Amino acid sequence: MTIATIGDVEFGIELPTFEPDTSLATGTRFADLISWDGVRFRDHEGAKKEGFQGAIIPGILNQGYLVAMIHNWAPPAEVVSVDTVFRAPVIADDSHSITGVVTDIDEEDGKVEIDLTVTNDKDETRVFGTAVIRLPT
Amino acid sequence: MDADIEAVRGKYLNLDFDENEFFIDPAITTEYARLCGETAERFLDPEHPDFQASPTYIASLSGRRMLPKDFPRFGIGMDAGKAIECFQPVRPGKPITGRSHIHDIFTKTGRSGRMVFVVMRIEFYDQDGNHLANADSRSVQREKSQ
Repeated sequence: MTIATIGDVEFGIELPTFEPDTSLATGTRFADLISWDGVRFRDHEGAKKEGFQGAIIPGILNQGYLVAMIHNWAPPAEVVSVDTVFRAPVIADDSHSITGVVTDIDEEDGKVEIDLTVTNDKDETRVFGTAVIRLPT
Repeated sequence: MDADIEAVRGKYLNLDFDENEFFIDPAITTEYARLCGETAERFLDPEHPDFQASPTYIASLSGRRMLPKDFPRFGIGMDAGKAIECFQPVRPGKPITGRSHIHDIFTKTGRSGRMVFVVMRIEFYDQDGNHLANADSRSVQREKSQ
């Protein structure tokens, strides 16, 4: 169900699971776009030499996935804030999924709070965050 | 609060230490949105009447310095997270100004010792001085064992 107004949102409802494109090609393209240097974003072997399990997805791209997920679920949503904790690296070319759950609704202000979690295919949490969005009343 | 942290807070909190101008390139913001998996047209189509940069785009803009020039080092630094606050949309095709300051300094003490958290905030303003957004970068420095 696509969300159009705050009246469509129920406390505790889960957002549709989002599968972000965490391919190395996308991570590299993103790092190039924002002018982030570092072999860790571009090459698995080079990243391993830096102590990672493989090439990693830039943290900001992970934050971008969270917001894209919200807009897929609620296209008119205006993001008020997003707070993200990078608990462990998101390894490029591994499969990941993002889940979200509505944890608060403020109908008076038109605001909704959502907890979001990025997990890998071993069900390990890599990134988690909280977003506050504003929806039409 | 520890006396040394109290002193550092008193010296550095809320004082601008960097100012930078950023041109918001529509070609970059649309590609940024596409790579994030955005589907909302207002982030992807420059002809859209409400065309704007993806809310997290500002987190990719960095100043010339991450910390004030003489800011003390407590140990090895690591990225502890990022946060954004949006007040008005960032409109591509125009410059914005980013001003950096230390927003918070606090500690947590665990079995491995004290960790010092520093929150560096960049406040973004448009050409008319409207406050558009904040981008916070949290870093944590783990103190070396004595």
